[in-house]
Amino acid sequence: MDDQQSKGQAFGNSPFGNAPVPQPKNWLVESILVTLFCCLPFGIAGIVNAANVNSKYAVGDYAGAQASAAAAAKWTKIGFFVGIASIVLSIIFVFVLGFGGAMMGR
Amino acid sequence: MKLKYILGLCLVIALVALYYRYNPEVYDFFPACPFHKYTGLDCPGCGSQRAVHALLHGDVPAALDYNLLLVISLPFLTIHFFLKVLSHLLQRDLNWKIWYKPIVPKIVGIVVIGFWIARNIPVLPFSYLAS
Repeated sequence: MDDQQSKGQAFGNSPFGNAPVPQPKNWLVESILVTLFCCLPFGIAGIVNAANVNSKYAVGDYAGAQASAAAAAKWTKIGFFVGIASIVLSIIFVFVLGFGGAMMGR
Repeated sequence: MKLKYILGLCLVIALVALYYRYNPEVYDFFPACPFHKYTGLDCPGCGSQRAVHALLHGDVPAALDYNLLLVISLPFLTIHFFLKVLSHLLQRDLNWKIWYKPIVPKIVGIVVIGFWIARNIPVLPFSYLAS
């Protein structure tokens, strides 16, 4: 059992074998945060790409997993920066309008 | 790398203070969801600002009423970030590997889209989910 395991590892790590590359970052947590706090379409795009990263990596499509990881990173970052920008804009808005003007209730 | 974490922490503290002090239900300077504004429907994130305000004041039932999905995901996010910080401090990889299982993003996607549809159905069991 021990012997088999070490053989398997040696094969996996050998430069001639199909060396497993580390799984690319799938941005799933970041996509969930973007979905919950900001921008629905970017968050959903991030979650879909995260699913692609995991399933492509699981079947050994490492290049495809890398491409999906890049797409997930792109959408999540767009969502993140749109979210930050909208928070900053609304805070600036308060200081321009003053708190009295902002307190209108819903 | 270090600066990024410090800035992120400052941002989180500032947002917690902001959402603790001001109720998004009352003050108008919080960003409103464009999807809700133009369609009148709820998106999966609608109500999360009010839910955060409610949670910071310890009002879990109100938070559940505003956005169930946010409250459900918080324990998972807490474990994730706790393990991430711990790995960073101990210089060992203790990160939560659950996000890298092929089934997990699919479940997340189904839950998010299911929640999105369900909370817009104006019939009683589902209308509890609306923000």
